[in-house]
Amino acid sequence: MYIDQELCKKCLDCKPVCPMGAFILKDKKVVVDYETCVECGVCLRFEICPENAIKQVDEIPYPRILRSVFSDPLQRHESTGILGRGTEEMKTNDVTNLFQKGKIGFSIELGRPVGGAYLRDLEKVVKKVTAMGVTFAEDNPVVQLIADRSTGALKPEILGERVLSAIVECLVPEERALRFIDEMAEFLRAEVDCVVTMSAVSRADDDGNSAFLQKLKEVGKNPYPNGKVNIGMAIV
Amino acid sequence: MTHTLNRRGLSEARPGEEIVVLCMAQRLRKAEKAEAMQSLARTVLKYKPDNFVGKPLGFDAESVEAMAPYTGVVTAVFTDKEVVWKLVGDLKSQRLGVSVVLSGLFTDVRDTCKCTGLREHTYHISLGIFGKTDCLPGENTLEITTQCGHSLISPHLVDAVVKKIRKGKMTCEQGAQMLIKPCACGIGNPKRVEEILRKMV
Repeated sequence: MYIDQELCKKCLDCKPVCPMGAFILKDKKVVVDYETCVECGVCLRFEICPENAIKQVDEIPYPRILRSVFSDPLQRHESTGILGRGTEEMKTNDVTNLFQKGKIGFSIELGRPVGGAYLRDLEKVVKKVTAMGVTFAEDNPVVQLIADRSTGALKPEILGERVLSAIVECLVPEERALRFIDEMAEFLRAEVDCVVTMSAVSRADDDGNSAFLQKLKEVGKNPYPNGKVNIGMAIV
Repeated sequence: MTHTLNRRGLSEARPGEEIVVLCMAQRLRKAEKAEAMQSLARTVLKYKPDNFVGKPLGFDAESVEAMAPYTGVVTAVFTDKEVVWKLVGDLKSQRLGVSVVLSGLFTDVRDTCKCTGLREHTYHISLGIFGKTDCLPGENTLEITTQCGHSLISPHLVDAVVKKIRKGKMTCEQGAQMLIKPCACGIGNPKRVEEILRKMV
């Protein structure tokens, strides 16, 4: 994104719209801070500028383009074929059966709900879960960024890129799930320089309940009272 | 939609406050489900949701129906549990072979399943926020910004809207409409945002 200085009237109406706070006043001009902007496109879609002074370049070069594909939900990831930065995950589990009994899926989303994240922090998390021996969701776009599957190291040229969020999706055996949560919580507190949202996917029991949700409550993990539930409509 | 589970502020003390409905054709079956997706979009919109996919971008019911076969996704926000029961029952009777996910209180989902003869298949449970949590905004602001699963509602925009309402330049209803606009997926709940704004001003 950039500001066409010939059109800009310096009203700064754009400033609060940016979730990253990338519009700044510099040398008496409103400019987009190139480092802070994650190319999410909200400022353009919001049509906040009455002068249409907010512009996008014709083509965002690599690796900066990663900012856009991980931050703008209207960008389609080549690797997943779906809009957004995640996968279909449990949304189509009644068709795919990716999440089966005995396994817990984890989503570890860096940069959400505010502030974004550098991919160097994503690398820390990918390395950590690689060392913990998880199974990655292979269709997650983050997997395409990994240069060394044995260590979880990402491609070095992308580490300085900043995105609105990136999600690590993986599967863990259910008997290890509570320990995984504790270890990740401690790791995230100590090692990453952003906020992180963590969630778990559990196949329902035969009666429709989730024993795993119940277990989380019992051991004081304080899961939210709300969540997402696939109601098996595709198989009725 | 991946992130509607992470919404803050929902409480079992206020059942039925919001249920987000997402319908998705599995991507390898999208082509064969084109007709089903159109029917599904038509059905969802018939029940007059408070918000729906693309609405913040200016899309109307006709364009949502036309796009559904290509995107393979329809999302909508409801604030009346009984309407959701009717919608889910309607979709069930059509046997479209498309996945449906409900996002809201687990107790509301349970009621919906009971009323429609369905059963929960897979749960997605939020464990909360970790890492550098000292940089989070206040709880009211967070309740509004988490209305967008892609973090596109800026905390600064919440502040700006609150200031405008306090100065009498905007109503809470107008403020809510402005705040759900960045969320292109149409999963922002304008009624709930309006209520939160009333608490803030």
